[in-house]
Amino acid sequence: MERSMAELEPTLLEIIKDHAVGLTGELSRETPIADLGIDSFSVVEIIYEVEEKLGVEVPFNANENPFGDMATVGDLIDALDKLIKK
Amino acid sequence: MSRNIVVTGLGAVTPLGASVAAFRDGLFAGRCAIQEREYSADRFSLSVPVAPIDGLEDRIKELSPQLMRADRFSQLAALAAEEAAAQSGLEFDEALGARTACIIGTGIGGQSTFDAGYVAMLCRERRPHPLTILKIIPNAAASHLTIKYGVRGPAFAVSSACATGAHAIGVSAELIKSGAADVAFAGASEAILCYGALEAWKAMHILSDETCRPFSKNRKGLVIGEGAGVLILEEEEHAKKRGADILCRLSGFGMNADGKDMINPDVNGAAGAMKLALKDISIDDPSRVYVNAHGTGTLLNDPTETKAIRSVFGAGADALAVSSTKSMHGHLLGAAGGIEAIAAILALREGIVPPTVNYDEADPECDLDYVPNKARERDIAVALSNSFAFGGLNAVTAFEKA
Repeated sequence: MERSMAELEPTLLEIIKDHAVGLTGELSRETPIADLGIDSFSVVEIIYEVEEKLGVEVPFNANENPFGDMATVGDLIDALDKLIKK
Repeated sequence: MSRNIVVTGLGAVTPLGASVAAFRDGLFAGRCAIQEREYSADRFSLSVPVAPIDGLEDRIKELSPQLMRADRFSQLAALAAEEAAAQSGLEFDEALGARTACIIGTGIGGQSTFDAGYVAMLCRERRPHPLTILKIIPNAAASHLTIKYGVRGPAFAVSSACATGAHAIGVSAELIKSGAADVAFAGASEAILCYGALEAWKAMHILSDETCRPFSKNRKGLVIGEGAGVLILEEEEHAKKRGADILCRLSGFGMNADGKDMINPDVNGAAGAMKLALKDISIDDPSRVYVNAHGTGTLLNDPTETKAIRSVFGAGADALAVSSTKSMHGHLLGAAGGIEAIAAILALREGIVPPTVNYDEADPECDLDYVPNKARERDIAVALSNSFAFGGLNAVTAFEKA
């Protein structure tokens, strides 16, 4: 059964927060990605944890970074959501 | 015009202490960092004497986010490099980065990450961590340092088991001599203290079940340690022009292969490497020569190395000060040649020879002056560091005063 965006979002936010080593305040959809302190390692780790926690496969290819031109955490969550539903 | 190599920075993370000053104090006090410790993985465990490093957590937390998630061998290399870079006084700007090499070796690489990956897969039916590959590759330490310091010159890992560190220093020197770089991070790191690796070493029947007693008749084998040793090597004129504090010169490097056997060492190979390291050095007084021996404390290495030293120095061999500091810090495998080069440099600079501790029974097959149990004051003019690897690969570094 496909999970709705509303169900996934809190889990995705929590995973992103775990890897946001540079984050000082609260995490929300509006938080700029640049403020998270995440790097190339974090992207790989976030994908892995999404797969582990949600029991899904994220068809993410590290060679074709689909997260290239995102600005906010909301953009990241939407991108993950799209990948998960593929 | 020939380009000479000088040393302008030292960094050590060792079981005797996690800085050059602490390492020095341990060496000259004759302190032994070997202790029995238990390692486990899932339902398996073993207890062996090792030389571990404790209490680095706070310093590792201060490293970059990527280094914080690296394997321990990369983290130890980064800590050693920080100390060496700070002592050198070099500012790694755009121009220097392009002229800097970074040759950091390791005997094995990210062994504990490898172990953890297999335990996850085979015992817990979980996938390995996604960064497993980036953590275990033997070039990880070298790569992390290039990122940390903006190094854009030649960079790679060398691997030659117990001779790795010496090869890294020698190859770095050759790169500077060739003109490929003016400065180099040169050294090695090893961190294999985990269940699987120790079980494999134990299976070879060369681990001591008590402590490490190089050259002593009752020696029972080697004790594995962890750590990293990094030197800043610099072309002499480059160092002089910036008014650097020159610690010593790297005046010789010898390397060769026995071409004979994976386990048994060869007198001629070891002697040949020492001769190559000494070819541009004139020795007037052998009593002013210190040899930091490979001295693993195994049955085979110690008499072979003794014979090799005798064949190089002839009648002068009895006047040499020879010691194995592995008796104190254990065998750092790939990193041995890195921290032992630093031990040799400390003896040269301070006029104190570190001892071979745990020495309590003379062996007729090992009949040199091993500076037993207590450090000794002696004015040293030439300091050698011997490294002879499993697989018959030999590398020797030689240092003289600046």
